[in-house]
Amino acid sequence: MTSLVHPGARLRDAATGELVGGAELAERVARVAESYADLPPGVLFLRVGLDVPSVLAYLGAFQAGRAVALLDPAQDRAVLDDLVTRFRPAAVVGGPPGAAPGYTDDWVRVDAGGVVPHPDLAVLLPTSGSTGNPKFVRLSRAAVLANADAIAEVLDIGPDEVAPTTLPLHYSYGMSVLNSHLRRGATVLLEGSGVVARPFWDAVVEHGATSLAGVPYHYEMLRRLRFDPAKYPTLRTLTQAGGKLRTELVSEFNAKMTAVGGRMFVMYGQTEAAPRMATVPAARLADKPGSAGLALPGGSFAVRTGDGAETTAPGVVGEIVYRGPNVMMGYAESEAELALPDGLGGVLVTGDLGYLDDEGYLYVTGRLKRIGKVFGNRVSLDDLEQLVKHLGAAAAVPAGDKVVVWLDGASADDCKAAARALAAALHMHITGFDVRPVAGFPLLPSGKIDYRALEARV
Amino acid sequence: MSLNDRLRSVFTEALQLDADADVENLKYRDIDAWDSVGHMALVAAIEDEFDVQFETEQVIDLSSFKVAVDMLRGFGVGE
Repeated sequence: MTSLVHPGARLRDAATGELVGGAELAERVARVAESYADLPPGVLFLRVGLDVPSVLAYLGAFQAGRAVALLDPAQDRAVLDDLVTRFRPAAVVGGPPGAAPGYTDDWVRVDAGGVVPHPDLAVLLPTSGSTGNPKFVRLSRAAVLANADAIAEVLDIGPDEVAPTTLPLHYSYGMSVLNSHLRRGATVLLEGSGVVARPFWDAVVEHGATSLAGVPYHYEMLRRLRFDPAKYPTLRTLTQAGGKLRTELVSEFNAKMTAVGGRMFVMYGQTEAAPRMATVPAARLADKPGSAGLALPGGSFAVRTGDGAETTAPGVVGEIVYRGPNVMMGYAESEAELALPDGLGGVLVTGDLGYLDDEGYLYVTGRLKRIGKVFGNRVSLDDLEQLVKHLGAAAAVPAGDKVVVWLDGASADDCKAAARALAAALHMHITGFDVRPVAGFPLLPSGKIDYRALEARV
Repeated sequence: MSLNDRLRSVFTEALQLDADADVENLKYRDIDAWDSVGHMALVAAIEDEFDVQFETEQVIDLSSFKVAVDMLRGFGVGE
């Protein structure tokens, strides 16, 4: 089966109650797919929301064999315009008012020439949190399908599952929840208000949601909300990815779910792997605290040590290397690169540091590059420093689900302005950027900033 | 300071609003800053300022400035 949509799959719009499934869903997807046939060559940009038309547009593109880039509809216009200039999409679905030069009022490119994307290319996702010069991860049709099937297998997703959308679809984790459920003939409940709002929980009850997917900050919120699965008898599966969740919270939520006969899955991945690479089987979560899990079916891990050799010997720390059918084809920074074939051969050098234990469970201990996570989104710490340099010399360090940015000799107003600038540039919530004044940076003997000392101050 | 003024300043601070923002008519997700992340920061800030503790149901029902005012009155916060 090379379609994303199982004949039994259904989409439920929580806001309207609309249910689209079976033959009707297949027909509507086919109609959208046909509507793309007359477009000029090139990638399709889709500003994807949590609604039926957005999902149909995505599924139609996948079925038509038209590469589709999933974009945040709330993204700044300037970022969209830059992407349009660099990638010259055939069309922008759901484009904002006032099309870019070279496009019709409906956002279809006027120029009928252009680069034909590689035939294997199916989905493009923006690398999360990149600044200034965002690029796309190139995912093949085979990689997307392989990952959807592998996740569905390890989570044991069946046709009776009902998954609410707790994550946006342009975020790889959100896309994978959609794909893995549609692939197994399950129901995806499209809901956009989020876990802190009444409409979400009303929809969970009314439509019998069976699972919740969350990144660490969702679990912090659920704890604050004193989430009690006993109140939601259908909701029996929790999944967590998007960064390491505090072990204390893993234990707490695992205990809550186990007490009601439910399950919790901790997972590890990257957008570059479409995105899932590992899962801790629910039954092993309690005795593997802090682990990222076993490689997905069809995948494997090794660690690369300082001399470049790879090993699977237990306890040896090195850069994590993943092999599997779900690894991306590569990145794309411009239109020409959309035509490139697979450049990785199924090998992803993750940039994460870690080790395997004697049972093959992966433990992630850090990053090779200076990377932080803001509410599950990867951000380059060097980029953050560049973005606020007009306010002073900056040093950014990871701090759990946030980043702390130390600003040399800054006033309280400077710090506020810096946090605002970062939130605006990365389109993330301002509370993810904790900007603090510092009088001079601690230095290493080499004269470079001692980031470890700064991390210790967080 | 009146309840309204105190709450307005909590909203302005927690959601980093401009001084001239129309806080009284603000609703959840009207603006980027009041998303789910902002919501939790806002709830914590209101609890601190007024020394109250919201129940789970109240946290998810606190969908506008006006609702927050009513809830605080329910806690017996003086005008």
